[in-house]
Amino acid sequence: MSMNALRVVWRITRLNFRAQLEYRAEFLMMIAIGAVWQVSVIVFATVLLTRFSGMGGWDSSDVLLIPATRMMAHGLFVLLLGRVHGLGRHIQEGKIDAYLLRPLPVHRQVQLDSFPTNAIGDLAVAAGLLAGALGRSHLDWTAGRVTYLIAAILGGMLLEAALFTAVASASLRFPAADYWGNWLEELLGTFGSYPLNVLPKAVGGLLTYGLPLAFVAYFPAAVLTGHGTGAPYWLAAGSPLVGVLAYLGARLLWRWSLRHYTGVNG
Amino acid sequence: MTRSGARPVAHHIEVRGLSRTFRTTVRRPGFGGALRSLVNPERVAKHAVSGITFDVAPGELLALLGPNGAGKSTTIKMLTGILTPTSGVARVAGVVPYEDRQRNARNIGAVFGQRTQLWWDLPVRESFSILRDIYEVPRAEHATRLKEFDDLLELSSFWDTRVRHLSLGQRVRCDLAAALLHDPQVVFLDEPTIGMDVVVKEQVREFLRHQVEERGRTVLLTTHDMTEVERLAERVVLINHGRLVLDGTLDEIRRTFGSTWQVRVTPADPHTEVAPLPGIALLRREGPQAVFGPEGPGAPTVHQALKQIVERYELTDLAIDEADLEDVMRAAYVQAGPGADEV
Repeated sequence: MSMNALRVVWRITRLNFRAQLEYRAEFLMMIAIGAVWQVSVIVFATVLLTRFSGMGGWDSSDVLLIPATRMMAHGLFVLLLGRVHGLGRHIQEGKIDAYLLRPLPVHRQVQLDSFPTNAIGDLAVAAGLLAGALGRSHLDWTAGRVTYLIAAILGGMLLEAALFTAVASASLRFPAADYWGNWLEELLGTFGSYPLNVLPKAVGGLLTYGLPLAFVAYFPAAVLTGHGTGAPYWLAAGSPLVGVLAYLGARLLWRWSLRHYTGVNG
Repeated sequence: MTRSGARPVAHHIEVRGLSRTFRTTVRRPGFGGALRSLVNPERVAKHAVSGITFDVAPGELLALLGPNGAGKSTTIKMLTGILTPTSGVARVAGVVPYEDRQRNARNIGAVFGQRTQLWWDLPVRESFSILRDIYEVPRAEHATRLKEFDDLLELSSFWDTRVRHLSLGQRVRCDLAAALLHDPQVVFLDEPTIGMDVVVKEQVREFLRHQVEERGRTVLLTTHDMTEVERLAERVVLINHGRLVLDGTLDEIRRTFGSTWQVRVTPADPHTEVAPLPGIALLRREGPQAVFGPEGPGAPTVHQALKQIVERYELTDLAIDEADLEDVMRAAYVQAGPGADEV
């Protein structure tokens, strides 16, 4: 990205943020919604810490690393790449047509459509969880572990972005595909916090090799805490790379779908 | 070299055999039909645009006309890089728009009257500043151009308002300014004055005339407003059912489709038996008056008909109703070609 492109991104983001700030009640409500939306994760963490000593052979403190990593990845996804979720609305409103008229990549313009105020709430919950998880952790947080955790969070963000970009690519051809994004969000929220070895093997396998949820937080947390997952170690350890590759693949799919975009009303 | 750095071209818009086909599913009637479509959908190809060819010279304003669903918007979308044609070639300022979308975007401006391209939650002036950065327009140049647009479109009274709070007329004027701030050579306008009041319409027409005559921009305009066509367009391309029906001047269109005159006469003797004349039909009797109109493809012009009628009958009164452009276009739409092909 050129310096001018970065300046444009920064300027639009700043203006969008300022525009959101001007509607004070709406702004605060969106932050609250971002946080409240994660209530199931907060309840999960509270129950885990107060009622159970562990889960599936993992200590509670180790388990807590899973929702903390996932939530952080999710919060960053919502902040940086999340506008692909709900792309059907952009298509119906003819916004994609308008984006195609400007000398900027369409994907970037989708992300710059508005400032995701709810991400502030998501990230606040995520930061709280991560602080709690790290505070309770018995691990020695060496530079290597910290670097891997950061890579895992970024990889998780890219993996979630890849899944939603794939849905958005389908929406470019079939706007109704957007509903799959809601299902995906629900699924990630429901199963993303658990060590997947507590689930039946078939379900765990599906959430690893079908919908690669395991690579977002479960595998990285297992690698950091030294737990086995049933998958080869190199595969689990390569989770951040899986995120990068999945995102690159999703962007290629996006580019292909955009070339075949037919718009609304012909 | 041109403003964009491209080589000068003989035509700013070149369209050669451009076609766009959409595949759609046929809706079968009734609940049973809907279920059958779910299991065994019947797919058909709908030819929105079929092999159209035309050019637009630099500094020319061309009106692309046709009834609803004729293929005008699809054509504009292909020329602006939004859609890729199924076959054929288009070049805009020397660039193939659907192959090099971002380069084409720097050479063109576009306004779709029913949709805004501005940032909905931002004040208009902020949108203008963002566009200045996107198109890398020098600040001084941007300020000069904005001042010129403000003088012509009176934008400054509302340009600090968020787009979502603007009236339609204000919003489209802002969209027009936004589309031209980077000084594009070619401008596409898809029904830019739809829903506007007459005062704002006139202001927009003046603005467009200024852009063509003073700034030498090439404009492709679609509209259903024939007054707009008469005031602005030198040349018209008429398409219907995706096919090009006519490419010519307004006079040529009038000559081809404009024989919808009526001559109303009152014979001196009320008992005169009035009868049709060669190429002239007696449309009806209205009390003492008789109304004549053209008959068949070889019908005379209104002036030739008048001569025949006056020579044949002794009259006390006579009135001519000549078709205006709207009537001419109505006739053209009705006569122009069969239904859209479906295969």
